[in-house]
Amino acid sequence: MTVSSDPLHDAARLQEIADLGLLSSDVDPILSDVASRAAASLGMPVSLVSVVLDEALQVAASHGIDGLWLNDVGGHPVEWSFCATSVRTRDAFVVPNTHVHPEHRTNPLVTQDGVRCYAGVPLISSRGFVLGNLCVVGMEERTFTEAEIGGLRDMAAEAVRRIEARRR
Amino acid sequence: MVAKTEGGGRIPAYGYGAPTEAEVVASLARVFGPERGSEAWAKACRTAGTRAGAVTTTALVERCAQALAAEGGAFATVARSVDIRMRTYTRLAATAAAPAGGGTRA
Repeated sequence: MTVSSDPLHDAARLQEIADLGLLSSDVDPILSDVASRAAASLGMPVSLVSVVLDEALQVAASHGIDGLWLNDVGGHPVEWSFCATSVRTRDAFVVPNTHVHPEHRTNPLVTQDGVRCYAGVPLISSRGFVLGNLCVVGMEERTFTEAEIGGLRDMAAEAVRRIEARRR
Repeated sequence: MVAKTEGGGRIPAYGYGAPTEAEVVASLARVFGPERGSEAWAKACRTAGTRAGAVTTTALVERCAQALAAEGGAFATVARSVDIRMRTYTRLAATAAAPAGGGTRA
């Protein structure tokens, strides 16, 4: 096996995640209000600030997951991750209806946990690495407007500024 | 291949099993290449008081992953992935084993 060309497995990206202290629990307080604002502004029940690792998604901050197994675990396997797509494309990923999405209609988060729609935008560090996503998740089919995705992008940029301010 | 656990096996509804040594070694190879990945795993196993190739239980996988995490940097992110995957398995297995009506949806 050779080194993977998948951005998920890029050692430099993972090093950036470590350098920015994103494995530390002290990142939650500076990001949780961003997650809450994202959920409120789009009228969604759940929002996450995710860190996409090589084989798992880590929840760095969240809104609306109290009492769910995702909150207990603090993440989930990367093969169930909607956010991993943005690490690969460096762009927003929107799924209005998971039940008809070719990749995610069989995702256990859809079939077992009821995820029905998703919109996420990448968190891109000033060094150009995609760290994870700011995303919203819902249990009903829903479309997302360009303006709503633009709002998410603004909040994602703010999240990155807060993360990087800790490095200085 | 699924590492031996007290409960064992996969969680049918999620099609998911606990992470194994082979999976962790493959993860390290994808990120660091096979040689550097194997070296890192062997070192983590030694630190954890075992040897590469003999990590046959979930408890041992966890211990070796903790040793890998202590290396810091990108190694720690791979170790965190193992930790999250292990905790996912443990949590969902507990729910699956709970009596009817005792489950928790995510």
